[in-house]
Amino acid sequence: MRKAAKRTKRFLRRFWRGFREWCGDAAYESYLRSNARHVGSCRTLSPAEFYVEQLNRRYSRPNRCC
Amino acid sequence: MKRIFSIVVWLAVALLGAGALGAIAIHRGEPLNAMWFVIAALCCYLVAFRLYSAFVAAKVLALDDTRATPAERHDDGRDFVPTNKWVLFGHHFAAIAGPGPLVGPTLAAQFGYLPGTLWLIVGAAFGGCVQDFVILFCSIRRDGKSLGQMAREEVSERGGFIAQLAVLAIMVILLAVIALVVVNALKSSPWATFTLAMTIPIALLLGVYLRFVRPGRVLEASIMGVALVIFVVIAGQWVADSPYWSNVFTLSGLSLTAAIIIYGFSASALPVWLLLAPRDYLSAFIKAGAIFSLAVGILLVRPHVLMPPLTRFIDGTGPVFAGKIFPFCFITIACGAVSGFHSLISSGTTPKMILREGHARFIGYGAMLLESFVGVMAMVAACAMTPGVYFAINSPPSIVGATADAGAATISSWGYPLQPETMTNLAHAVGEITLWNRAGGAPSLAVGMAQIFSNTIGGPRLLSIWYHFAIMFEALFILTVLDAGTRVGRFMVQELVGRVWAPFGRRGWMPGILLSSAMIVAMWGYFLYQGVIDPLGGINSLWPLFGIGNQLLAAVALVVATTILLKMKKLRWIWVTLVPTVWLVIVTMTASYQKIFDPSSRLGFLANAKDLARQITEGKIAAANMAGTQRLIFNLRLDAAVTAIFALMVLVLVVEAIFQWYSILSRRRESVLHESPYIATRWAPNFSGAGHGTAVGDAIGDD
Repeated sequence: MRKAAKRTKRFLRRFWRGFREWCGDAAYESYLRSNARHVGSCRTLSPAEFYVEQLNRRYSRPNRCC
Repeated sequence: MKRIFSIVVWLAVALLGAGALGAIAIHRGEPLNAMWFVIAALCCYLVAFRLYSAFVAAKVLALDDTRATPAERHDDGRDFVPTNKWVLFGHHFAAIAGPGPLVGPTLAAQFGYLPGTLWLIVGAAFGGCVQDFVILFCSIRRDGKSLGQMAREEVSERGGFIAQLAVLAIMVILLAVIALVVVNALKSSPWATFTLAMTIPIALLLGVYLRFVRPGRVLEASIMGVALVIFVVIAGQWVADSPYWSNVFTLSGLSLTAAIIIYGFSASALPVWLLLAPRDYLSAFIKAGAIFSLAVGILLVRPHVLMPPLTRFIDGTGPVFAGKIFPFCFITIACGAVSGFHSLISSGTTPKMILREGHARFIGYGAMLLESFVGVMAMVAACAMTPGVYFAINSPPSIVGATADAGAATISSWGYPLQPETMTNLAHAVGEITLWNRAGGAPSLAVGMAQIFSNTIGGPRLLSIWYHFAIMFEALFILTVLDAGTRVGRFMVQELVGRVWAPFGRRGWMPGILLSSAMIVAMWGYFLYQGVIDPLGGINSLWPLFGIGNQLLAAVALVVATTILLKMKKLRWIWVTLVPTVWLVIVTMTASYQKIFDPSSRLGFLANAKDLARQITEGKIAAANMAGTQRLIFNLRLDAAVTAIFALMVLVLVVEAIFQWYSILSRRRESVLHESPYIATRWAPNFSGAGHGTAVGDAIGDD
């Protein structure tokens, strides 16, 4: 029983992470992680700067289909 | 033992699928339960994924999980982001699933449920999924290059330019036709117009919240936005009931056209964070929710399909659109089975985020299967209503008659009994003034969805709410495609004109932004206007034009894929992409020829123009209608020219490709493959993407 509860909890936690990544809620966190791996490569953007920058990039190429 | 068990299980799935498909194909007489459609589709998809996609992955493409993907090589946290395969599947599906698989099958239901359903399943398994999968693979192997770049490198310089031009031309027609679907859905409907209009201030509010209050907190903003949207769907009823407000929001087709054109221009020219992006977030949540609810609703209600398997309109005399079952069933279904536009996504964002090559099968092939399933559900929703009602909603007044009595008599004479009161009662039940002549697919799909939803929750009492929820859902995400497409179109125009006049190509130059936005909006706006004033309803001419364009783009993608396979020395398996290419070229060329040259004035653009010109010379057109008729003649000739240009562009690319293939096979030219060099992955085999358990850096294995 405890094992099943643990598994469910783990599944829900993964689902929640995946869901946040899917909808873009975790985009800034991913960016920070990536930036940490490339130390000194460029200045870290603030959440607002990153948000606007990623939107400008995303909507400059086909990203929605018919 | 395990292997035998696996074989038995897959054999059972295959037999069940074959049995269900057989039931759909052979069944006559009593209405068929929709569960047969669900079982047939799911079993076929499972077998296709398990066997065919595995074969393509192993034998044809030889996917290599030891090879570093662009996401690993260029990981920058922005464009190149290693992403968990389930999350990327969700991203990819949200990007490829547009209004096409909902509207196309609804329109193709005019032929009956059988041809459309079969093509949705077979076309997806052997055409659409293969295209998406192979193009995704090719782009992964080329650092996420676009279809145009791949065409330029692998086929020829001219091929790349043609592909780029084809994308822009097809995008213009796509934007016009989806805008027309929205106009026909909102025309004379104060409730629906109010609901959709209110999504603009809601999006602006979310835009400001996400930019200044809580930057990037998409989830909380979207929850707020969805709650507000549901509120305005309900509030729409009060607007429809108020004589004053109902009058304000009752708009004609031309007024709606002007409003949508202004909206498209604003969304393209305004900062993306203000209007476009928040609408997209809202749309993504509502789209996912509505599609999931439709699937659950069909499973719970298990409606009966009332449309016959084949209707009398397979002979080409259909009221919704003209043309015989071949080629127009395939052209009309379009995105639900094969969509050229998907190749832009498969060579756009997805290849830059994929974790391993092996995931391309699940994401490329699997997401298209899911899209096909959405198409099957739309077909079920459209065919679950009485055929008479379906034809009443989707036929233009010039064919069925302008009054309810005339319409009911015409439709009944076709063998689909309909009483005028049925339509009046249905319109009243869904809170509309009328449901007659609402061509475009959206209203009939909304009626079908509302009937399924209300049988699940709320009963007939909530039918009007569900109907307007369905209309809002369709219109919202159609407008999302419209504004995102207009913006991308703007960049394409800037790039093309920028080759001649450099300042125009600068993305931040305001006069360039305004001028290019106006140019792209004027292009699709004109086709939208011509669709709205078309006496045959616009859908009759524009949807086939869009279908031809879309399928031609798929042919372009498959030609590029075939060339790459040939260069990879996969001659033995070349049929995997060559067969769908040949099929698409035959279908689209036949459709293009018929749309231009068919002697029937309902089908052929030129015959229709000639017919109208003859009526003018014979003095049959009243002086008051003269200018309008001359405009119609011009529009028909323009449509013929656009169709011819589409066909010509693809023919040039096919000839270029055949020349390439011949040169490679006869060894006259060295076959040069423009793949990125092999670099072994440094990620541990259990690494499943950033944010999932281990961080990327932590998961890197020993060298």
